[in-house]
Amino acid sequence: MGKEKEKEGKRSVKKEKQAEPDITFYDRDLFEVPENGSPPYLKGYICKKCGQLDFPKPSMCPSCWGGDFEMVPLSRKGKLYSSAEIFIGQPGMNFPITIGYIDLPENLRIFAQLEGEGEGFTCDDEVEVMVGTIRTNRDGLPITSYKFKKVR
Amino acid sequence: MKLQRDVFIAGVGETTFGKHKDDFDVLGRQAALKAMKNANIGKPGMVQSAYVGNVQNGIVTGQMVFKDLGMCGNLPIINVESACSAGGMAVHCAVKDVTTGIVDISIAVGTENFSLTRQAGTTFSAASGDIETMHGVVFTGKYAMRANRYMHETEATPEDLAMVTVKNRKHAKHNPHACFRGDITVEEVLNSRMIAPPLTLHQCCGITDGAAAVVVCSKEMIKKLGIHKPVKVAGSVVFSGPYHNRPRDLTSDDITEMAAERLYEESGIGPEGVKIIELHDAFTIAEILYYECLGLCKKGDGVKFLRDGDSTHGGRCVVSPRGGMLSYGHPVGASGTAQIVSCVKQIRGECDGYQVEPLPAVAMTHVTGGGVAGTEHAACTMHMLTRGW
Repeated sequence: MGKEKEKEGKRSVKKEKQAEPDITFYDRDLFEVPENGSPPYLKGYICKKCGQLDFPKPSMCPSCWGGDFEMVPLSRKGKLYSSAEIFIGQPGMNFPITIGYIDLPENLRIFAQLEGEGEGFTCDDEVEVMVGTIRTNRDGLPITSYKFKKVR
Repeated sequence: MKLQRDVFIAGVGETTFGKHKDDFDVLGRQAALKAMKNANIGKPGMVQSAYVGNVQNGIVTGQMVFKDLGMCGNLPIINVESACSAGGMAVHCAVKDVTTGIVDISIAVGTENFSLTRQAGTTFSAASGDIETMHGVVFTGKYAMRANRYMHETEATPEDLAMVTVKNRKHAKHNPHACFRGDITVEEVLNSRMIAPPLTLHQCCGITDGAAAVVVCSKEMIKKLGIHKPVKVAGSVVFSGPYHNRPRDLTSDDITEMAAERLYEESGIGPEGVKIIELHDAFTIAEILYYECLGLCKKGDGVKFLRDGDSTHGGRCVVSPRGGMLSYGHPVGASGTAQIVSCVKQIRGECDGYQVEPLPAVAMTHVTGGGVAGTEHAACTMHMLTRGW
């Protein structure tokens, strides 16, 4: 009886040593997709010590080295500073994809993939944040994150 | 950096750039040996410190380069990485050793071999933990965004961008070290494979292998070595990129502007005094933007500077006389060093077939290293070189 339990114990330790599953959502600190279905939003962080707002979440405030932050939902709409369609890119991704820099009213710039055809985007377009797949993970599963699309 | 005593370049060497079966250490050794012989150094034991710029060929790359030269054990060998700025940064470190008096002779090598390990049909991004990398960024895409914004704000067209490749490959037509060279038309550049609109294949630096090396030394050592054409290091600056997540003007370049301002101040030479420049022309748009950022022309006038012929032979300042990265390709660890090597040869009048006339007395180099979200570039290294005889 004792030997059976010993074997079982060894087997469960073996399972734990197998690789952890890769992420499928990027990232809880940066992006909120409310379960009640209300629109998703990016999460900015204000340093409680000096008041600087930053995105993404800093490990410590780059201005004052403060470590306490208050989360604030960021504006869902912004202006597309520039974009580019990529035909040849990182290994392991499917192409084409479109990337862009989006400027939010909070004076923050966000890098994100854009949903839609590359030729359809012009500098200064109004865009809004949405949920979408950005790539696949190590296990072949999609990774969901924030993306932006044109405001129609 | 503040130069404490005069530093001169005694010798330079470079391999051909292209696809090489020889790995980075062999290429680095070849360049180092050429540079040392060019400096009248004929045996191990004379060079007193070494810096080797390399980015992705692994650990202890410098020691791998020098072991067959019998130099391991004789001097400290320090490996330098800063993405594409590594090769220039290695020279900066060697200059620092000599100007501070730590040593009298130092060598900087930049070397890289991509083709033996790279996955074909892909391109480069930064560290995997980077937020932009996670969302799919690649350097080609970042520069395409700069190009699209520049074309949105000015009257620049894709044809204007393509002209940079045409000019640089023409400069390199008779340069044996460059691999993409000769006459190419704007149409051929525009019709090459689309990478990230508006950037087509021929508007992007090729992924190649190569190495270059520079021997630097003190004034006394120049006499001892019997160097007839020493090139003076009038300035050497390294900057790290300002980090923030706020909007910025991507048609300017904060780190380049900071580095250039410091270099002009430290060398006492302004942009109007520079006769030739090797800058970070990894993509056509980059060269045009850098005309403006380096103060060669006013903001917004980059295309005019190009179209007026001001950045080619006979113009105000020959930019990319070796053909730039658009002709050599861009083995990232090597480029920064190769730029300096080529400028030294130009000042010395040793560029048969691609020589700038009259012989330039002042040359400037500029190389950036990218890859950190929140910065325009992670690093920028610039040098000012002048005729020292």
